[in-house]
Amino acid sequence: MSENSLGQPIPHDEEAVVIVGSGAGGGTLAYELTAKGIPCVVLEAGPYLKPEDYENDEWAAFNQMAWLDNRTASGSFRVARDFPNLPAWIVKAVGGSTTHWSGATPRFRAYEFQTRTYYGEIEGANLLDWPITLDDLAPYYDRAEIAIGSTHRHGRPALPANNNYKVFANGAEKIGYRFYATGPYGTNAEPYDGRPASVQDGFNFQGDKSTAKWSTAVREIPRALETGKLDLRPESQAVQVTHDAQGRANAVLYLDKDGNLHRQAARIVCVAGNSIESPRLLLMSASALHPDGLANSSGQLGRNYMRHTTGSVYARFDRPVRMYRGETMAGIVADEARQDTSRGFAGGYYMETLSLGPAFLAAFVDPGSWGPGYTEVLDAYENTAGLWIVGEDMPQETNRVTLNTALKDQWGLPAPDVHFDDHPNDVAMREHGYSRADLMYEAVGAVGTHHTPPYPATHNLGTCRMSARPEDGVVDKWGQAHDVPGLFVSDGSVMTTGAAANPTLTIVALAIRQAERIADQLGKGEL
Amino acid sequence: MPDNPTTDADRRASLVRLLRAAYPHPKFPDGPYERTADEILSQSQATLWHQLALTNGLDALDARAGGSFADLDDEAALALLKEIEDAEFFVFIRGVAVVTLYNDHETWELLGYEGPSFDKGGYLHRGFDDLDWLPSPRIEEYDGPEQLVEVAPDDMPAATAGDQR
Ligand SMILES: Cc1cc2nc3c(=O)[nH]c(=O)nc-3n(C[C@H](O)[C@H](O)[C@H](O)COP(=O)(O)OP(=O)(O)OC[C@H]3O[C@@H](n4cnc5c(N)ncnc54)[C@H](O)[C@@H]3O)c2cc1C
Repeated sequence: MSENSLGQPIPHDEEAVVIVGSGAGGGTLAYELTAKGIPCVVLEAGPYLKPEDYENDEWAAFNQMAWLDNRTASGSFRVARDFPNLPAWIVKAVGGSTTHWSGATPRFRAYEFQTRTYYGEIEGANLLDWPITLDDLAPYYDRAEIAIGSTHRHGRPALPANNNYKVFANGAEKIGYRFYATGPYGTNAEPYDGRPASVQDGFNFQGDKSTAKWSTAVREIPRALETGKLDLRPESQAVQVTHDAQGRANAVLYLDKDGNLHRQAARIVCVAGNSIESPRLLLMSASALHPDGLANSSGQLGRNYMRHTTGSVYARFDRPVRMYRGETMAGIVADEARQDTSRGFAGGYYMETLSLGPAFLAAFVDPGSWGPGYTEVLDAYENTAGLWIVGEDMPQETNRVTLNTALKDQWGLPAPDVHFDDHPNDVAMREHGYSRADLMYEAVGAVGTHHTPPYPATHNLGTCRMSARPEDGVVDKWGQAHDVPGLFVSDGSVMTTGAAANPTLTIVALAIRQAERIADQLGKGEL
Repeated sequence: MPDNPTTDADRRASLVRLLRAAYPHPKFPDGPYERTADEILSQSQATLWHQLALTNGLDALDARAGGSFADLDDEAALALLKEIEDAEFFVFIRGVAVVTLYNDHETWELLGYEGPSFDKGGYLHRGFDDLDWLPSPRIEEYDGPEQLVEVAPDDMPAATAGDQR
């Protein structure tokens, strides 16, 4: 038997809650449900790596954990040209992308749940109000912040200013920004929740060996295992969700690490594979009843793919900065995270400190570039400060995940294609962000700045959007498929629109809320 | 392919020269460039196509340089590379170079990057906040009199209460 299973074994024919993926969404859901005594099987495509296994080396860590199975990128975004097989940076391991996430945890603003109402009709944008409001989510945001241990919230102290933040915050202050701080950020400034305080080791986009950084791999999954209700199956990739004759989700077919196919019976199925793999799995689960893919009666499955409007600015100074020392993203400016179309675009954006080592900076600062202009940027490494722009991008029906039947993965399954074109609103926002970042850095003496285009997406959203009406989206306000009873989506793909905020806090809040709903419904025999 | 050691050594030398012209770092010694050249040569062995493209490409460069690319001065070498920017062998070289030259530990040191720190207790006591040419900024969230206006007055949805269907 080549199956890898940890925790309390659950028989394959026992109808359990089956969760696909163990990242922000799946890991949280597994913990919340098992803590309430509900047995869960978690199928996770990646291995269970422990903090001592994590690599503190950019390429080694990336190659250790990133999802590198065949994928394609298409459309006019630059990633499709520079990284045609790497549309996104997503982690394949227990803990999902929370193992590589950085930690910025702003909440959505109230208007961002109602963009159709606030932004009106924007040509080419498939805007829609969420079926829930900030008030609905607020209590779950509290619980998510407490779980993550976000700094500046619920009594958690702020992280200290590192070198990169000193440049960033001074620049912000000089140009009149007020709403900056070293958080909220999901890494401990002091010991909390059984995990230590940050040692400022500078490795955030890699697994955190110290465990000061929250991830579901260091919190939710180990705790779920302790309940005795979790059967965790790493290196187990779901390939199909099936339903019974009445159309109810009833099982998940998956491959173990040697490619043997297994079937796990399910009372309910919760898909949390992140916004590329979740729609891919449902598209691969097409059946006679659902010929265009499971839960795709609306035709919206895989569409409205969002990746946030991003860009980075690296500024050179004539004195040392050493941006790589310390917490990578413990610095946020929120002054531009608002709706004010006098700036020339709808929606808002944050600026957050960002640092890459020379290895990643060389690969991503200006892909394909070479020559003296390029090496000048790298030669200034020690004297460089960096930030990331992250803002709301417009959902577009044509930005979508489809099955690329011309390319197979290592199992012979169609690879996902990620098609993306920038919306003019995205471009206008990015340009605004670049110019504001230039002003910030010039205000504190930058001798030059470099505008870096978007990286492969770390924020992937929207492909199973939530909607009030079944014809507008894939899932309802609880994340349950409109057209497949017993099928839930539990990750960032349910986002109706993406807001400016980094998504993880919201994914965790939604998963806690969904767990409460599922437990309640199971208890009443309504699921 | 005939094994000709002299030619191979020449090729490695022109590759090192090419890398220096394409990725000029006056401070860098030969080591990082040589290790990158070796990695390019070794990766080119993986497919016959890259092997042929690299060999032909480097030979063509020599021909265009009127004999030996390695003898060109910096400016002339750069100008020649600009002309062949899209040639497949040069794209291949650059693809390997950016992930090798800058993943080299000697390069890190030359650029002033100290790398992993966990074993040394992080940068907590090793300068994570030693920048002293700017004042220490506030780390807490703003709590002064100004308010962040989430939605500008002109962007408030029109009072459409009567208009709702
Ligand atoms: C470098 C980096 C920095 C980031 N920084 C931040 C930040 O500062 N703030 C923030 O809010 N967000 C950040 N993010 C984004 C954050 O990590 C994601 O938003 C979040 O983890 C997404 O949660 P998820 O549950 O949707 O998916 P993931 O966390 O990606 O989990 C999905 C899991 O499902 C598994 N899976 C997929 N398909 C299958 C299948 N068919 N069968 C079995 N398992 C499957 C995957 O292997 C993976 O483990 C960052 C991400 C990266 C990569």
